Amino acid sequence: MIDSILKLTDRLLGRGDAAITVPVFDGPLKANNVIEAAEVLDSLEAAQDLATDGQHLFVANGTCVLRYKGNVSEKIHDFEAPVTAIACLPDGGIAVSLAGREVLVVGGDYDGRRWGGSGDIQFYAVNAITASTDGLLLVTDGSVGRSTAHWKTDLMSLGASGRVFELNPANGNIRSVASGLSYAYGVCYADGAAWVSESWRHRLVAFRNDHSPKAVISGLPGYPSRLSPAAGGGYWLTCFVLRTQLVEFVLREHSFRKRMLKEVEPQYWIAPALNSGNTFLEPMQGAHLKMMGVVKPWAPPRSYGLIIRLNNNGEILYSLHSRFDGKNHGVVAAVECQGDLYALAQGSQRILKLPLAEAERSARA
Amino acid sequence: MTTEFAPPVLELRKATKVYAGVPAIEEVDFSLRSGEIHAIVGENGAGKSTMTKVMAGVVNLSSGEMLVDGHNVSPKTPNDALRIGIAMVFQETSLVPTMTVAQNLFLGQERYFNRLRGIYIEAQQFMQSLQFDVDPTAVVSLLGAAKKQMVEIARAVLHNAKVIIFDEPTASLTPEEKKYFFDLVLDLKKRGVSIIFISHALEEALLVSDRITILRDGKRVVTDDKDTFDRARIVKEMVGRDLSQTHYGQRKTTVRQQGKRVLSVQNLRMAAMVKNNSLSVFAGQVTGVFGLVGSGRTETFKVVAGIIKRDFMHGGEILLNDRPVRYLVPAPAVRDGVAYVTEDRKLEGFFETKSIAGNIYLGLLAKLRGKRDLVSRREEGESGEHWIKRLNIRAISKDVKAIELSGGNQQKVVISKSLIQDPELIIFDEPTRGVDVGAIAEIHQLINQLADEGKAVVVISSYLPEIMSLSDRILVQRMGKVVEEFSSPEATEEKIMYAAIH
Repeated sequence: MIDSILKLTDRLLGRGDAAITVPVFDGPLKANNVIEAAEVLDSLEAAQDLATDGQHLFVANGTCVLRYKGNVSEKIHDFEAPVTAIACLPDGGIAVSLAGREVLVVGGDYDGRRWGGSGDIQFYAVNAITASTDGLLLVTDGSVGRSTAHWKTDLMSLGASGRVFELNPANGNIRSVASGLSYAYGVCYADGAAWVSESWRHRLVAFRNDHSPKAVISGLPGYPSRLSPAAGGGYWLTCFVLRTQLVEFVLREHSFRKRMLKEVEPQYWIAPALNSGNTFLEPMQGAHLKMMGVVKPWAPPRSYGLIIRLNNNGEILYSLHSRFDGKNHGVVAAVECQGDLYALAQGSQRILKLPLAEAERSARA
Repeated sequence: MTTEFAPPVLELRKATKVYAGVPAIEEVDFSLRSGEIHAIVGENGAGKSTMTKVMAGVVNLSSGEMLVDGHNVSPKTPNDALRIGIAMVFQETSLVPTMTVAQNLFLGQERYFNRLRGIYIEAQQFMQSLQFDVDPTAVVSLLGAAKKQMVEIARAVLHNAKVIIFDEPTASLTPEEKKYFFDLVLDLKKRGVSIIFISHALEEALLVSDRITILRDGKRVVTDDKDTFDRARIVKEMVGRDLSQTHYGQRKTTVRQQGKRVLSVQNLRMAAMVKNNSLSVFAGQVTGVFGLVGSGRTETFKVVAGIIKRDFMHGGEILLNDRPVRYLVPAPAVRDGVAYVTEDRKLEGFFETKSIAGNIYLGLLAKLRGKRDLVSRREEGESGEHWIKRLNIRAISKDVKAIELSGGNQQKVVISKSLIQDPELIIFDEPTRGVDVGAIAEIHQLINQLADEGKAVVVISSYLPEIMSLSDRILVQRMGKVVEEFSSPEATEEKIMYAAIH
């Protein structure tokens, strides 16, 4: 009863959970144009994830896995279903997720090991896989019941069914690490714990055996996605879409939100997007965004490109951006390989290559 | 017109003023020529204020004499001084806060029957003639520091004084307001008014004055034409040592690595002053906040420290260490490790009649509220001595009343009062306003030391060289919100001013 009254008061006064506030891009998150200025390695219409074995870049593109040697790609695998996540294993194999419903090991010592599908466990939206040095796999299953392509529906439905599993390729065992997450999208082994991106709660959470979950970093200005280790220690974290006050507002206006889900086509929802500016039918129309041909700096963006460099403690060191008048938006994965940072911008369907030293210098300037 | 042979309009001969056996000024000779702008510079405690107070009739000489137009005079009150044509614009404003601007202007000059409307019209015309944008019907307590200063200046001009003494006139003015002020000073000079100008901003003394007198430890060190001085010489004569490399003179070239985010202000609103303001402050860094007067800097951080409240409805969020906080009074903020060092130390910073040790101990008691059943005099004395030593507060003993200290030392007391609380986030609002160059260097050193120790430090300042020499990050505020952020190496005065104005 008291809780309901407090919630009502908060809603009336716009405070507590009802405060429609968004953290600002300042300090190490200060905006720059590094992602926008990056070299385009390739343009792929169906790229989903990146991985590296330290020597080469691997890209999950549609039903295929591509390996890049320099700027040249070769197809090394072709599957029966789209690959939604990929990871390189220490024994030389790769692990992939097929349609988000199965996890399969290809090559290496445990070639052919498979989880999900018709097995005991059912996956719905496996969107990230990572391998530990001792061969274990961590996978995030974004949502129970909605596929990876329906992330927007999950966000606007206030979904909270994300899960994390640990898979053992040696014996095929599977262990649940966490469940009930507000969209699990990205995982990484860090300091004996599993760091997981909990996208809709804008935070990274550390899960450690026999310990309660602990937020590594919270209050991010975007929705975090995949994590990967950085060569000099620390991690790369991508934020695939940005928080805006408009979306935060809609997420609190439940009757409007429910009607929108029911009656409006998903592409016209007031919701974040991997890219924007393609049609005047978008909720924020071109005329609202531009004046005299110049994008208004105060216009709320629907899409954005952001990669965050974290240190070992999860503190932000610096960040790389494609601002909202740019194209390289919707960055869903970033991996470091041979002194370069490769990023997958799903908004522009491009694989980007950023020389690391130069990117860091530009970002810190 | 200034000539060597014209008799001085105002002269002091072997002027001495003794307070409780200690001379504040000692055998000072000083002369002011007709139509001259004469700058008096010196460290805090050098005797500048005492000397000008003698001229303005606020205090009387212990020995020596004062001459106006060659006649021996001895004004006992400021009104006496005004009658012989000497007006003073005080560093700490002396306006009546509950009266309107127009009422303050004509205070003491009222006719027997006054029509308020007539006064307002007259005041409006007069303020416009000075190009001062101040509403004559506004109540003074609602004005910002800069506008109060303008009213003070206008009042002196209105009294047709032939000598006007300005004590730190530009400390609270924005660059544009300063330009107006200097134009006004030059205009007054053209009209034959002689001006005495006290400023800690040495560039200003070099810019507008004809002659400069330097005081040190209550004695006149030198009086000479402006052209014979440069900044280094002034500083050297003032402090007796070379300080030019230790403060404003040097640009910051390195940036400290930021630690965790200590403070996050999100979409903060407070009446008309703070409009949807968002910013972050990180541990181990000095975050400089620059903006013109009225840009909402002070108000933003006063809301953070619980001194004023944000808007009741949809007022935004403040997160301290990622935890939402909303302080209605300062006490819980102090307990959570937030310290705010005020810009108006006399009004909000300390208890004038309490001792140094007493003031500092109050800071500790504020932090430990409810944890001390009895006040310990011994603890008070020990903490007082510790902080006097650590911050190099120059006083005869820890029991000296705060009011008896010079501005720089008072500021150190205010800072000690906050530091004794061992805060995590320290907000310095105009930390060196009205503080002499020696103390500025010490305060700057302290601010840097705090950041090096890992504290999150915020420095709000209207003085660009101060912001640029201290800050690792510079936030520029305009019209109630942060509009630009610069890292120290990329910032230039032009870039910052452009962001602050446009």
